Amino acid sequence: MGKYIATRLLSLIPVLFGVSLIVFFLVRLIPGSALEMYMGTQVEATPEQMIELQRIFGEDKPVLVLYVEWLGRILKGDFGYSLRTGRAVLPDILSRLPLSLELTVIALFLALIIGIPQGILSSLRKNPISDVLNRIAGLLGLSLPQFWLASLMVLAFSNTQGWIPMGNYIKFSDDPLRNLRMMILPSLSIGIGLSAVIMRYTRNSMLEVLQMDYIRTAKAKGLAKRIVIIRHALKNAILPVITVAGFNTGYLLGGAIVIEEVFALPGMGRLALYAIYQRDYPVIQAIVLVIATLFVLVNLLTDIIYSLVDPRIRLDNGAKHA
Amino acid sequence: MSEESILRVEGLVTQFSTDRGLVKAVDGISFNLRRGETLGIVGESGSGKSVTNLSILRLVQSPPGNIAAGQVIFQGRDLLQASEEEVRLLRGKNISMIFQDPLTSLNPVLKVSMQIAEAIQLHHGQGRKAARAKAVEMMKLIGIPDAERRADDYPHQFSGGMRQRIMIAMALSCNPDILIADEPTTALDVTIQAQILELIKNLSAKDKTAVILITHDLGVVAGMCDTVCVMYAGRIVERASVDELFYDPKHPYTRGLLDSIPSVDLSGPDRLYSIPGAPPNLIDMPDACPFAPRCSKVMEVCARSMPPETLLDAETSRSVRCWLHTKENRNA
Amino acid sequence: MKANRLTRNAIAMTGITIIALYLLVIFVSTFWLPFDPVEMDVDHLLEGPSLATGHLFGTDEFGRDILSRIMKGTSISLIISIAATALGAIVGTTMGTWAGYLGGLWDHWLMRVADVMFSFPSLLLAIFVMAILGEKTYNVIIAIGIVYIPQFARISRGAILTIKSSEFIKAARSNGASSTFILRKHLLPNILVPLIVQVSLSLSVAILLESSLSFLGLGVQPPAPSWGNMLSGARKVMVLAPWTAIYPGLAIVFLVLGFNLLGDGLRDILDPRLRNVR
Repeated sequence: MGKYIATRLLSLIPVLFGVSLIVFFLVRLIPGSALEMYMGTQVEATPEQMIELQRIFGEDKPVLVLYVEWLGRILKGDFGYSLRTGRAVLPDILSRLPLSLELTVIALFLALIIGIPQGILSSLRKNPISDVLNRIAGLLGLSLPQFWLASLMVLAFSNTQGWIPMGNYIKFSDDPLRNLRMMILPSLSIGIGLSAVIMRYTRNSMLEVLQMDYIRTAKAKGLAKRIVIIRHALKNAILPVITVAGFNTGYLLGGAIVIEEVFALPGMGRLALYAIYQRDYPVIQAIVLVIATLFVLVNLLTDIIYSLVDPRIRLDNGAKHA
Repeated sequence: MSEESILRVEGLVTQFSTDRGLVKAVDGISFNLRRGETLGIVGESGSGKSVTNLSILRLVQSPPGNIAAGQVIFQGRDLLQASEEEVRLLRGKNISMIFQDPLTSLNPVLKVSMQIAEAIQLHHGQGRKAARAKAVEMMKLIGIPDAERRADDYPHQFSGGMRQRIMIAMALSCNPDILIADEPTTALDVTIQAQILELIKNLSAKDKTAVILITHDLGVVAGMCDTVCVMYAGRIVERASVDELFYDPKHPYTRGLLDSIPSVDLSGPDRLYSIPGAPPNLIDMPDACPFAPRCSKVMEVCARSMPPETLLDAETSRSVRCWLHTKENRNA
Repeated sequence: MKANRLTRNAIAMTGITIIALYLLVIFVSTFWLPFDPVEMDVDHLLEGPSLATGHLFGTDEFGRDILSRIMKGTSISLIISIAATALGAIVGTTMGTWAGYLGGLWDHWLMRVADVMFSFPSLLLAIFVMAILGEKTYNVIIAIGIVYIPQFARISRGAILTIKSSEFIKAARSNGASSTFILRKHLLPNILVPLIVQVSLSLSVAILLESSLSFLGLGVQPPAPSWGNMLSGARKVMVLAPWTAIYPGLAIVFLVLGFNLLGDGLRDILDPRLRNVR
């Protein structure tokens, strides 16, 4: 097991390396360099001041060198300083991590408890008409734009106190109950769409699994239907669902940009968005790198969980016996 | 001679509704199974042999399948009329089944000990520990080395032959009255086949378990069975004891099957014999002998109507479904 | 059973019907719109829907007719969605097919690139690209297209790999068929099924991506109407005028639903494994 994790971690390194390369170089491509923007609000600068400014803004060396230097600093934990606020970037990002994490976890939880049972029930296909309606409802869930759903919720709850963060975000550590109350709606905005995805995957997977020979064997043993479905079918059917749930979770950690924007939540996605709006390069570089890294790590975690459920992956190293 | 009858199938008809029409996979099958007897059901693919057995346990997927007629009498009850719950209680306990492909028929994500133990837990009401112990015992019995440790392994960690043994252990764990073996050796190496058949033979002899052995391989039949039913196009065309079948086959199809077996002492560059033609399309079958198009001894009447089943020996229940052997034609 | 084939088709048919309706709207909108979508009418700001004024969906914060803007936005959204999907599909499939077919180093490196692209959440990647290219409407096509490239690459590569080692390819080879021939006659038809399904689903996601980008101000720029940027403008005023938020959103939902239905129905119809499922 440990060997499996170690191998997978090692394979991440080239990917993260590639990510850092792309992030760094692409950020350089964003038009309107920070220096220019900074200058735009200042009076003319003397040549000496220009040289100094260029050094500060990192424009005095070739890009490749800058990249290596940047990478070196990153590896030591120095993610630079925001051009706008002057504060260190990493602490800023880390302070927002709990929020994004909480949002993701609650949304995932909601999606799983709604999606999986629905998917199972739907796969049993008792009634063709309700099956079709169910599927359309599922697809409808997929079709709702998150920002619209979020906006409608803001609209609906605009007069009710305490349900909408709107700039008054209260941390979980400060007041759990009030925090949860204001996280429900944002999580729901994400969770509804996600539950539709989970439901579809569960349903399709169950449909395939229920056709398998080993289900016939289980029935031939006289096992009760409930046991056949849960112990035999579900354990197999859940595998692709784990993969897709994991993938979407990773996406959510940095991709909940729109939700954070609509509900004015100080999360990582919003930080990334505003950094891009403001051309705050150090922040953009750092946060995109962090988001991508988290994404990759979550996928790894998903793979590990998957291997815990599917013995065939885990024990691939075990040679076949007699 | 008459051991008690443990299972009696009468006039079983199982159909499948497909886009192209109604397929009569089983069209009027009757047979009798005695306690401790090993009955072989032989036929090509599509002859309806597997469907017959799935029908006995009501494991036919419906829709599109449907058991349209017949009776399956077990322990004085007609299983086809009983409730789903009643039949479920018999499965795995009184009547067990093993399937052709042990790789796909075992659940890949569950430990083998669990798969064997669940039946024991269910039917004998034992707790998890006790059931697992019994499962390990079964594994030893069927010849899996290091059973205690291997009980926690998963199906993919065993070879094909071992997996089939596990299937057998699963099926026999609750000492059923009847074991239905659906082509148990077809997916295995020839060398392993013999071992598996030997195992089934020994275990069933031990508890006087009746066995219904489905196969397309006459060699298997010769070694294992007491009585044989030959199926073609959903019907039984010949029924005989194994000796009678091999030494005195009556139905032309049976003759053809026997002739198709390559013999070791083939002299000269003769071609291997195979029955000409192909199995019939089971949709909208006309009222005629289904084998007529391929039969070397076909007569005019064969194409006009389905031959009746002619009883040749009341004591042994030897019978054949062929116009050649009806009372009139035999004496002619 | 026949009943089930029909219901499977029903899903696809509903999807097609919905899409057809939108196409009809595009067609009509080229000749006629109830009002000028960009014309501001300060006398009728934020008016609710009413038959009397002719503003069936009401007006927005600039007095512009919402229905007309929605209709105009249909062409914009669909064009972007189709173009972006086409871009991603063509580039991605080419990449993936060659990677899968050639194998070896090509495969390795192309997939590394795809992996890296996959490390970014789609929306973030799209925002990033927009920031680089500049916030012009046609850049949205490129941004979304780039997001799709790794997806199509992976799917087509997977399909190619599955078939590459199968028996009938070996048979064709042993008969002397050339690589391009094999590619064209054997491999491509087989990857068509997953591709078609993916295209349909990508079309739906493209609309969501585009409207999200527009919502954030990084997509279609005002005054050109995109459902996304209409919703963005509605944020400030929707408490007073909910119709400004409801209708554009509904427009998105139904079109996306249409594509999703189509994709799902197609998958049912085309997937031979599912064909036997009752």
